[in-house]
Amino acid sequence: MQDVLEKALEWAMNNLKAEYIELRYENLKKTNLELKDGTFVTFTGKIQRGVAIRVLADGAWGFSSTNRLENLEKAIEEAYKLAKAGAKAKREKIQLAEIKPVEDIVKSKMKIKPVEVNIDDKIGHLRELEKLLKEDKVVKSTMIRYEDASGEKILLTNEGTNIKWDVNYLVQYIWTTGKKGDKLAASRDSIGQVDYGWEIFETKETNEVVAQRVLKKLHAQLNGVAPKRGEFPIVAGPIIVGIIAHEALGHLAEADLTINSPFKDLMGKQIAPEFVTMSERIVDGGFGNDKYDDEGVPVKDIHIIENGILKELMVNREYAHKWGIEPNGHARAQDYTFPPIIRMRNTVFEPGDWSFEEMIEDIKFGYYVVDFRGGQAQLNSAFQVGVQEGYMIENGEITKPIRDTSISGIAIEALKKITAVGKDFGIETGFCGKGQTAFVSSGGPHMRFDGGIIIG
Amino acid sequence: MEELIRYGEKFFDELEIAVYRNRDVGVNIELNEVSTSSVRQRTITVIRGIIDKRIGISIIDSEDKEEIKKAIEEAYKMAKLNAPDEKWISLPEPDKYREPKKISKEVKEVSPDYFVDLATKAIKLALEKDKGFVVAGGGGGAQWSESLIVNSHGIDVFQEGGGAFFYLQLIGRKNGNVTPGIFEFDAKLNLNLEVEKIVEEVAQKVKWAYNVEKSKTEEAKVIVGPWAMASLLSYALFPAFSGERVIKETTPLLNKVEQKIASELLTIYDDPFHELSLKPVIADDEGVPTRKNILIENGIFKGFVWNNYWAKVYGTESTGNGTRNLSTGGVGIGFHSIVIEKGKESLSDLISEIKHGYLVDGFQGAHSSNPDNGNFAVVANPAFLIENGEVKGSTVFMMSGNVYELINQIYAISKEQKVIPFHGTTITPWVAFEDVKIAGK
Repeated sequence: MQDVLEKALEWAMNNLKAEYIELRYENLKKTNLELKDGTFVTFTGKIQRGVAIRVLADGAWGFSSTNRLENLEKAIEEAYKLAKAGAKAKREKIQLAEIKPVEDIVKSKMKIKPVEVNIDDKIGHLRELEKLLKEDKVVKSTMIRYEDASGEKILLTNEGTNIKWDVNYLVQYIWTTGKKGDKLAASRDSIGQVDYGWEIFETKETNEVVAQRVLKKLHAQLNGVAPKRGEFPIVAGPIIVGIIAHEALGHLAEADLTINSPFKDLMGKQIAPEFVTMSERIVDGGFGNDKYDDEGVPVKDIHIIENGILKELMVNREYAHKWGIEPNGHARAQDYTFPPIIRMRNTVFEPGDWSFEEMIEDIKFGYYVVDFRGGQAQLNSAFQVGVQEGYMIENGEITKPIRDTSISGIAIEALKKITAVGKDFGIETGFCGKGQTAFVSSGGPHMRFDGGIIIG
Repeated sequence: MEELIRYGEKFFDELEIAVYRNRDVGVNIELNEVSTSSVRQRTITVIRGIIDKRIGISIIDSEDKEEIKKAIEEAYKMAKLNAPDEKWISLPEPDKYREPKKISKEVKEVSPDYFVDLATKAIKLALEKDKGFVVAGGGGGAQWSESLIVNSHGIDVFQEGGGAFFYLQLIGRKNGNVTPGIFEFDAKLNLNLEVEKIVEEVAQKVKWAYNVEKSKTEEAKVIVGPWAMASLLSYALFPAFSGERVIKETTPLLNKVEQKIASELLTIYDDPFHELSLKPVIADDEGVPTRKNILIENGIFKGFVWNNYWAKVYGTESTGNGTRNLSTGGVGIGFHSIVIEKGKESLSDLISEIKHGYLVDGFQGAHSSNPDNGNFAVVANPAFLIENGEVKGSTVFMMSGNVYELINQIYAISKEQKVIPFHGTTITPWVAFEDVKIAGK
């Protein structure tokens, strides 16, 4: 395929007057399994193959995607014409920050790639997990979705970038419904990996560990009492801290969104206590890990907030030029049918030095929020996070679980109310939607907020 | 296709081949400018075959005959590896379809230039309205889809159609305040997109939002707008209409057929042929004829919707609600165009009758609602405070409760309806609720 792409690129370079031409080919073999209450309702082998073409001409972008590989020249020309059409309406021409073109082959870090695992083993794994969940009598219904992919991605540009990836990932998602008396409740769990392969299910995320985690959340919901509405001291676990980092703060630091957010006027300013640092970085087991982004830019660690000061933004080459900063590898596309846009990878608060016990010992009444179901934020950093596992804190101790509720606040105000940062660290992997889906992680240590977050 | 079905029958007891061709044309708006213009073309073929009650699916990005043959073999390989599903009965049989709606071919052939011009016009109109406006985002485009569903029992249905959309997201900056992003849109089966109206409506809301008002913790009247209605009900209520949940006993509507569950003002049905529908399909993704399915009529719950599989397991008929997930190939139960029946009053009358209350444009966090019991806890944002019949300014508040209580608190429904292209399509009016508990900020 490399030859076909190179030939098409050469044709385009000779025949089109474009500033930039990018071809991104993808050929993935996927397995999709969905086990619903004892039956595999989805049992699918899939081949996803096509080319994404992006052309910058006269300072405007044109994009086309196709799975008709026999006539790539035509698709490139289409993208070129689109750019030309868009350029007519453009007042400010798009320019790209300079990069050093890279030629590389990116190898997978997985020990056991999903493609090397016998499908019987995958079936056995899912059935065992279902069995473990259903052993609990409150469980009414289970849905376990599993997806993996293996294949290649090639990025070629007229600037000389030539990168070939050995792409591999796996995803496991669980939705369990439980019933106790008249009360129905649900619990979800998600695992996504690009660096660890099937070995993850044999080490960190064994079926026993996962089932226990899901059931704990389910029971907390079924036995939960409604929380009091209002503003109380909140201790948030790594998963909740992560969703706030991602939804309420991370999006504001995506340079294409920053301009319309309060972050625009806060760059370089103290926005949180000095013991607070939030990064966008490579994390062990991070679902957003990669060596290069979809523009061929090496992925760099950045500190969005460093010692309380708002410092760095995520950019693609276009916004790097606009803001006059170095590209940092955040241009990502969902698949060949989409152009790359600025996305997060792994957004985390960095650990501090508090123990969990120290954090809760002087709280007379408050809440400990552990896990969420859905979260959303606005560009003014107003966020809402549905809580699916949470507990009351009474007189310095964790007491009763709370049921279906949510927490909300304005993140840039809540940041100022952080009074303690734990010395632990955890992440959760998942998906982020911004018109396209991206693999992401978010997390951090336990953190305490004395105000700024409303529950109920 | 006949030949491929015959080829597949060598491997399977029964099989289905579904081909989807999509072409999307569009432009994006970023920061007062047209950013990317794009054309995306994709063909996907899904093979679903069953042998000895074992199901196997394969998906390819192609409709090439030889590739499809290979995909049939791949599906067979998957089926042999799968365990038998003892509940499996059969794929659907052929049936009669309605006459398809007339389609506008202009959507099929529209050039991206059309949307570049539309976007340029919209940006200009918006920026002329107010110095503080920023067109934060937006876009427009058209999608043309063709689908072919064929199975070994004789189902053979081809459908084509398309639609166009345009949306605009504005932010207002005034006196150091930044309003939340507020958006408005239009979606139609033809190219008659009303850009001026979109700009007019979104500009009005941003101007309201310049003035920020506090909300109280109280019980008040709340008018919920179309986008907010669609998002909340899509997560908290609509999943409960799925027949699969009857069998699994995970719907709060179990044993509630013909019982009153909502205000008698509320009528909800799924109807792909509604005049505002964006996908007037005659067949679902399994080739079963679609129809109008009444879900709630004057507050009375009328019944569930089914796909072929779960209907047969339950011993009933598919209601034509089989929807295929194109990334996994699985067929679930979904909706075509859910319609909340319109009421009698105009939105402006609804607002003018309120002494103290709120108008909600969007809910944050609707997707964290619990479909298993209808509990929700959302943030109304953007939302507006109404005092003495007039919108006073924007506000934010939390609304938490249970959707089954909420639908009993309806006191009026607007005569205007809007189509929301979200989770399929929802067509909904503005719905006014009374005694809604809210937590102010």
